[in-house]
Amino acid sequence: MRELPSNITKLSLLVLLGYLVVAILLGYWQVIRAPALRAHPYNDRAQQRAHAIEPGQIHTADGQLILARHKTPKGWVWAYPGREVYAHLTGYNYRTGLQWALYQPLLGLGKYEDAWRNFLHGHPVGLDITLTIDGAAQATATRLMRGKRGAVAALEPNTGAILVLVSAPTYDPGEVLDNRITYEMFRGDPNSPELNRPLQGLYPPGSVFEIFTAAAALESGVATPRSAFTCAGSETVAHTLVKCRKASGHGRLSLSWALADSCNIAFAQLGQALGPLRFRKYVKRFHLLDKGNLSLPSKSGKMADVTASQGEGELVQAAFGQGATLLTPLAVARLLATIANGGQVVQPYLVASMKESGGRVVYRGRGQRLGQAVSQQTVADVEGMMVMAVEKGTAGAMAIPGVQVAAKTGFAQNPHGAPHSWTAALAPVGEPQVVVVVVVENGGPDGDVAVPVAHEVLKTLLQR
Amino acid sequence: MVGLALVFAATNEPIARALRAAVVPGALLAAALLLDIIPGPRGRLLLPMVALLTTLSVVFLSRIEMVLATKQIMWVLMGSALLVATYFLIDDVRDLARLKYLAGGSAVALLAITAVWGTEQHGARLWLGIPGAFSFQAGEVAKLLMVIFLAGYIAERVPTSGLGHRRPAARPHAPLTPLYPPACGGIMGGCKYSAPLLIIVILGLALLISQRDLGAAALFFGLFVAMLYLGTGRKDYAVGGIAVFLAGAVAAYYTFPHAAARVQAWLNPWQAPQQSGYQPLQALFCLAEGGIVGTGLGRIPIGALPAAGTDLILAVVGHDIGLLGTLAVVMMYAFFCFRAYDIARGATDRFGALLAAGIATIFALQSLLIIGGVVRLIPLTGITLPFLSYGGTSMIINFIAVGLLMTVVRDCTRPESGRLTLSPSP
Repeated sequence: MRELPSNITKLSLLVLLGYLVVAILLGYWQVIRAPALRAHPYNDRAQQRAHAIEPGQIHTADGQLILARHKTPKGWVWAYPGREVYAHLTGYNYRTGLQWALYQPLLGLGKYEDAWRNFLHGHPVGLDITLTIDGAAQATATRLMRGKRGAVAALEPNTGAILVLVSAPTYDPGEVLDNRITYEMFRGDPNSPELNRPLQGLYPPGSVFEIFTAAAALESGVATPRSAFTCAGSETVAHTLVKCRKASGHGRLSLSWALADSCNIAFAQLGQALGPLRFRKYVKRFHLLDKGNLSLPSKSGKMADVTASQGEGELVQAAFGQGATLLTPLAVARLLATIANGGQVVQPYLVASMKESGGRVVYRGRGQRLGQAVSQQTVADVEGMMVMAVEKGTAGAMAIPGVQVAAKTGFAQNPHGAPHSWTAALAPVGEPQVVVVVVVENGGPDGDVAVPVAHEVLKTLLQR
Repeated sequence: MVGLALVFAATNEPIARALRAAVVPGALLAAALLLDIIPGPRGRLLLPMVALLTTLSVVFLSRIEMVLATKQIMWVLMGSALLVATYFLIDDVRDLARLKYLAGGSAVALLAITAVWGTEQHGARLWLGIPGAFSFQAGEVAKLLMVIFLAGYIAERVPTSGLGHRRPAARPHAPLTPLYPPACGGIMGGCKYSAPLLIIVILGLALLISQRDLGAAALFFGLFVAMLYLGTGRKDYAVGGIAVFLAGAVAAYYTFPHAAARVQAWLNPWQAPQQSGYQPLQALFCLAEGGIVGTGLGRIPIGALPAAGTDLILAVVGHDIGLLGTLAVVMMYAFFCFRAYDIARGATDRFGALLAAGIATIFALQSLLIIGGVVRLIPLTGITLPFLSYGGTSMIINFIAVGLLMTVVRDCTRPESGRLTLSPSP
């Protein structure tokens, strides 16, 4: 009779182990996998629930209502007063955008649930959300990007607040009536209207990236703004044939002029001089490949391993933003903000605040400071070069009367056709308030299509 | 009763919230105090756990469909009455050992009759009775009869511990009647002792599989292997049993399209999200919807969820009261089984110990099979969650099983001095 109780003990322990396993799996589905499951296109529950709860609304920083609730006999439904201007921000039907990402605060669920308030109110009420987005500039950018493919991103450099986040082509979320049809339709569209390009679009940055290479070279003492380079139009650097946009060549030129007039050959040589280890060090310091911590789906940047044995060719190409280098427009905006911000890297943020219907603020967003990438002197030098680009170089069209603008343009070769047209700008120089980055897919080189967009958005933002 | 009060509380809106807060713990405390007097120290907290689970059941059924809740209350009341009846009608639980062949035979007979005359529901023939008037799930009755048979048979045929082992018997006075010969010396001799056991078990399993009740088949087989291990202490039986089970599962996959669909829905529910994957996916969506704290009891329609009141009631719990609720339910089952195994461990009689352990194993396997199915640990099978799922037969049988546990406490435990107990000492 001694064996049986011990067998029972063993069996009961096995059973307890079984309960432990299912408990862990319950946690897995209800916590870890829950957000993905709630957003799944085959899951109709989010919508059904949304009809029952009075949701919060979303406003821009300047008070425009972009995601509005209204009540129908069926229950609460969304309206999109901004139509296609905020499509990628608001999303639709709780499947995409902030509706998906901020689904819990919007419906007052999860950690945003206040049991006591629900008890008194009788049913949960969602939180009102205010974004950092500037409605006027967002509308301007959307209007200017109509008929193009690409992205616009603008930041307030010292806080990291995102002012503009536009993806083109866009769509009117109010017209998304049937999920499954829309889902299939969007998936089949070659222009990928559902892709949120500023966060998910990976583009070769082209010459805009020279801002980084110049900053890294200046900071590590490899070059000064006056360092001289020779450009003959085309040259083989590290077994890689590099062509300058000026086929006749720049001749002898300084680093400042190389950036202002976008000389690939000078930057190829600069990249070679910088070397893979220092290059990689500054990629890390600038948090260039960091995907950010926005709640919306975002992509991290990509770059070839420049320290590999065959890396030198890659390094030479990366130095002027080509080769395997791919960045999101928001990552380029963060790079610009770092320059504008005296070398301090700030993580962009989108949600300014979340408020209860009574007005009590339960959340306030702020840009996380990620550390000093380069010195104040270095960024001042780089800014000087970008000012030169506006005054004498490729970015002349970016000039705004009465405001000193620093800018950089670029064309990025890509396998999908004509080069992508880039413009990155910050203003006013000295105490920058705004950073704007525009990319137009296959926009160049015949006529610079990104510059007018960036110019107009910058002007709108400076008039805030 | 508690559930009934809760249901009224929930329908009366203004008072509802205040009542809801006070009624549940108060009523459960009262129930716990009342019920705890009967079973004595070993059975302590067993009945309160049942009260808790059935209360939850009524609350959640009222949220799914009021009619189910009202009916469930009736089943709980009938079950409670039968629990008391079981407790007082059985003079000595050890007498049941003599009825083992009757129990085993009737279990198989019940399954056989159902296979022939049963009524079909959801693609499986599980119900027996006069259509429209009275019917019950034969498998539920058979499982309890099977425990009695296995406990009786193993207690008698493998009478002392250690004898199933390969090492020499420690106590020479014990008769050597192993289930199988220790070395492969006499298969015929082994068969003589094990034939009735194998015949009843294999017949039962074959009938269940032919009725396409794969969940119940897994439950029966698991119970058989577990009790064989308890009786013999031989790990190789357990391992062999699991191997046979897996082989059987693979065979079922290739033989029955019904089983194959279940397995495919388990491995990749996204493949056919509107067909075979629908049920497991909706269960996961419900769990995800609830998150950590849930969406609130009955606040939001549960939406499309097949078998919400029966097999997938845990998904409803997860939807409404979140991970906290589902973990509480898992803990309740773990605690319940732990107490039931504790009763088995403390039993002075071999049959009593095996009976209690068998009942504990049934509750454990049943809850693990269906919860494991919901969380995609194993394929989803049609099995009820004891005391929580809607179901008359299942509720009544579960209550009788608890009644049997109580009689084991009464008849097979040494009375502990200084404790107040209403049970007569044997």
